Amino acid sequence: MVNESDVIVETKNLTKTYRDFWGRQKVRALKALDLEIRRGEIFGLLGPNGSGKTTTIKLLLGLLFPTSGQVNILGRPASDVAKNERLGYLPEESYLYRFLNAEETLDFYGRLFNIPASVRRQRVAQLIQLVGLESAKKRQLREYSKGMTRRIGLAQALINDPDLILLDEPTSGLDPIGTRNMKDLILQLKERGKTIIMSSHLLGDVQDVCDRVGILYQGELKELGRVEDLLKIVEETEFRVSGLSEETKKKIEQLVKDDPKAEMVFCGNPTTSLEGLFHDIIAESEARPGLRVRGGDSAK
Amino acid sequence: MILEHPIPPFLQWIGPAALNWAMSVLALAALAVIVCFVVLLVAKGAKQASHTFAVGVSDAIKDVRLFSWKRCFAMASLAIRESIRKKVVVVCVVFLVLLMFAGWFLDPESKDPARLCASFVYQSTTYLVLLLALFLSSLSLPNDFKSKTIYTIVTKPIRSSEIVLGRIIGVASVGSIILVLMAICSYFFVANTLNHTHVLDDREDLTKLTDEDPSTLPPDTVIAKGYTRLANGHKHMVEKHANGEIIVFEENKHTHDVVEIKEGDLVRYQVSVARGALQAKSPKYGSIKFRNADSFEHERGINVGEEWAYRSYIAGGTDEAVIWTFDSITPNKFPDGLPVEMTISVYRTYMADIEKTVMGALYVRNPVTGLTAETHVFNSEKYTVKALNIPRVIDKSKVKSKPWLVKKMGEKETFEASPDLELPQKEEYDLFEDFVVDGKLEIWLQCLDSQQYFGAAEPDLYLREKDANVFLNFLKGYLGVWQQMLIVVSFGVLFSTFLSGPVAMASTFGIIIAGFCKTLFLEIAHLQALGGGPIESLNRLVTHENMMVDLPNTISTHLGQAFDAIASGLLSVIGLALPSFSDYNYYADCVANGYDIPLNSICVHLVTTFSFVVTIFVFAFVILRNREVAKQ
Repeated sequence: MVNESDVIVETKNLTKTYRDFWGRQKVRALKALDLEIRRGEIFGLLGPNGSGKTTTIKLLLGLLFPTSGQVNILGRPASDVAKNERLGYLPEESYLYRFLNAEETLDFYGRLFNIPASVRRQRVAQLIQLVGLESAKKRQLREYSKGMTRRIGLAQALINDPDLILLDEPTSGLDPIGTRNMKDLILQLKERGKTIIMSSHLLGDVQDVCDRVGILYQGELKELGRVEDLLKIVEETEFRVSGLSEETKKKIEQLVKDDPKAEMVFCGNPTTSLEGLFHDIIAESEARPGLRVRGGDSAK
Repeated sequence: MILEHPIPPFLQWIGPAALNWAMSVLALAALAVIVCFVVLLVAKGAKQASHTFAVGVSDAIKDVRLFSWKRCFAMASLAIRESIRKKVVVVCVVFLVLLMFAGWFLDPESKDPARLCASFVYQSTTYLVLLLALFLSSLSLPNDFKSKTIYTIVTKPIRSSEIVLGRIIGVASVGSIILVLMAICSYFFVANTLNHTHVLDDREDLTKLTDEDPSTLPPDTVIAKGYTRLANGHKHMVEKHANGEIIVFEENKHTHDVVEIKEGDLVRYQVSVARGALQAKSPKYGSIKFRNADSFEHERGINVGEEWAYRSYIAGGTDEAVIWTFDSITPNKFPDGLPVEMTISVYRTYMADIEKTVMGALYVRNPVTGLTAETHVFNSEKYTVKALNIPRVIDKSKVKSKPWLVKKMGEKETFEASPDLELPQKEEYDLFEDFVVDGKLEIWLQCLDSQQYFGAAEPDLYLREKDANVFLNFLKGYLGVWQQMLIVVSFGVLFSTFLSGPVAMASTFGIIIAGFCKTLFLEIAHLQALGGGPIESLNRLVTHENMMVDLPNTISTHLGQAFDAIASGLLSVIGLALPSFSDYNYYADCVANGYDIPLNSICVHLVTTFSFVVTIFVFAFVILRNREVAKQ
C-alpha cells in the first residue's frame, strides 16, 4: 500500500482543450489523464511530437489552465505559486535571458527564491561547477552552444535545491557525452532523494534512467508502469545456453531437458527494446483508437 | 505666466481628489468583476464559475499579502541590465547630437532666448523619453512571452504583482537615469547658449553728454550714453551716471554688470556675463476681485467682448479697480518693501496717439481701515512684465485722505457706516504697521485714462519672494517629463500583459496622443465639439459638409447621431480615465518663463501621477495573474 504522503504529483481526469479566438475547439491536447507520481522516483513521459507530454508538464506547472480535471503538485493546486518554492523546471529549450552570463543568470533566478546573497553566491559556484561551465561563466548566454545552454538551463532548475524536478526533453541538443552526463546527473539527483519527471521522445534515454514511464499518444495515456515490466514479453520464452554442440542446437527445444550435461543458464522472458514497444503501441493505437492502459500501476 | 486652471492648495485638493479617485477605481473594479464573472458563468456554469472566482480572489489576496520587494527588485534590476546590454543609452547620444545641431535652428535674435532654449530642451527631452518609455515598457513583457523566458520566471515563486511592478520600476529607472543625464546636458546647453558678454568701449560706444566735472553734478545725472556692441543678435543701451554708476538696460530679458577700470587716462569697461537670463522667480499670488462701477466687489469685471474670458476688465478714469488680497505679508519676508511684478492687458476703445501708453496707478490699501496710498503711476505696456517696488516707508502725500471703500455683495450697509474707524495721521506711513493687518494687504490697480480699459487675471500681479536656485528649478522642470514617463511606462506594461508587442505599443501610443488631447477628446465624448461625434464628423468628411451646417434630415444622419450618443458614454468614461499629459507642460512653462515650480503643484501632480500608476498596476496584476502563460 502506497502512503498518500508519498504521492508528490497527482492528476485526476486532467483534460486540456485548445480553443481558437472564437472559442471553437482546435485540438484536445490531453484527455482525462489520471496519474500519480511518487516521491523519489524518476518518471518518464514518453510520446511522439504532439502527444501531450509538454502540455502535461505545463499543466503541472500551472503554465496552462486545465479545461477540466485537477492537478495536485507537492500538496498544492497547480495554480498556487507557493508550490514553486520546492520545484525546478528545465523547459524543452532553455528559455533564458541571452544578455546575461551564467553567473548573472543563476544569481537572478536565485533572487526570485529570496535566497540570501551569501548562500546564492555559494550555490551559483557549485552549480556552475556541477554543469561544467566554469570556463564560460562570464560569457553572455548568446555566445553559448546549444549544449552549454542546456547545461545552464539545468543549473537554473536546481538553484533552489528542489524536491521535484521537471525536465522537458533534457537531452535534446546534447552530444553523446553531454547526454551521458545529463543521464548520470539525473541518476545522482535520484540518489539524493529528488523526484524527477522527464519527458522525452528519445527512448533510450528514458529506458536508461526512468523507474516508471507513461506513454502518451494523441493526448491519451496508452501505457503506464515500471520499465522492466513493460518491456517483458510474456508470450515468449528465452533460453540462454552455454556449451551446446551444433547438433544439440538444432534440437534444443526438445533436448534441453534430456541432455544432463547441458547447463541451463537462463530461462525466462526476453525483452524487446523500449523503442520496439513504443512503435508497437503507436501502431496499435492507430488501428484501434481509445484509451489503452496495460499493466496498470506496477510501482508496488 | 498664464494660469488658466490654477492648481488648488494641496490640502484643499487632496480630500475631494482622493474621494473621486476611490469612487472611480471602485466603479471600474466593480465593472471588471461583473464582466469576469459573467464570462466564467457562460464558460463554466454557475457552480464552477463561483468556485473559480472564489479561488481567483483568494489567490489574488494571497499574492498581495505575500508580496516580496526583493523579488520585485530582482525583476527591476533585470530590466535595467537588459536596457544597458541592449544599448538603450544610445538615446542619450541622439539627444546630444540634437543639442549639438540645435544652434542651427534656434533663433539667435529671439526676444526671449531663455524661453526658446528651455522650451526646446524640454520638448525634445519629452519626446525622446516618452518614445523610449513606450518602446521599453510595451515590448519587454511580450518579448518574454515570445522568447518563452517567462516560463522560467513564472515557475519560480514570483507573483504576478512582483513581475508587473518589477517591470514598471525597472523601465522607469532606466528612463529616470537617462532623464537625469539629459537634464544635466540640457542645463549646460541652455546656460552655454545664454552665456555671452558685450564689448563696451569708452570712446567709440559712449557719447559724452556734458563736459562738466561729474563730482559737481547731482549723482543721478546721465553724463554719457550709448550702446554696447552687438552679441547674440542684440545690444544694450548703457547710461553712465555722475556718481560713476553704469546702468545697462534690459534687452532680451537679461542685463549685464559693468565694471569701470581706469588705467591712467584710459578707461576700460568690463562687461559681465548675462544676468537674469535664466531665473527662478518665486511669485506669491493673491486672490483677485473687482470693484465695479456700482462700488460692489465682484468676482469678475467688465467683459470687453473677448472670446477668451481669462482676463476681466476695468474701465479707466472711474473708481473701478482690480483688487488683489495677499496673506502672510510680514517684514521678515519683505524687509525692503514689496517687489511687485505685473502683466496688464490694455484694451483701447480709441487708438489716439499710438505711441502714448495708457496710464495706470497702483495702490496699497489696508483691508480693515480702508487706508489707501498711491505707490506708483505707470505707463502700461501690454503683456510686458512690469517690475515695481512698493516701498516700506510711504510719504503722507501719497496717502488718500479718506478710506477707499468697497461694498461686499449682500451687505446693505456700506463700509462708511462704521463710525469707529479713524485713520492715523502721520508724516510717514509704514507699510507693515499701517497697511498690513494680520498679514493681509490689498493692492489695487486702476486705469487712469478714461474710455480705456485694463484687464487682469489673478496670476497677473504677484509679489516676488526670494528667488529659488536656478539649477535646481531647471531640474525640477524635468519632474513633469518624469511623471509623464511614469504614466507611459505603466500603460505600456499594462497593455503588454495581454497584448502582443506591436499592439501594446500602438495602444500605449494611442494613450499618449489621447492624453495630450484630453480636452478635445472629452469635447468629442460629450458631443460638444464642432461637427458632432465621431460618426457625424465622418459623415461630414465624406459628404464634404462643413462643421457648422445642419446635416440633411435623413435616416443615415439619425443613425449616425444615435450611434454617437451611445458611444458618448463609453468615450466619456475613457476620457475620464485618461491622464492629461498637457497638464505636465506646466513644469516646462514655469522654467521657460523664469518661475520657480511651487512645491504645492509638485505635490498635487505627484499624487495624481501615482494614483494613475497604482490603479494601472492593480489592473495589470489582475490581468497577468489570470493569463494562461503558455497559451499559444
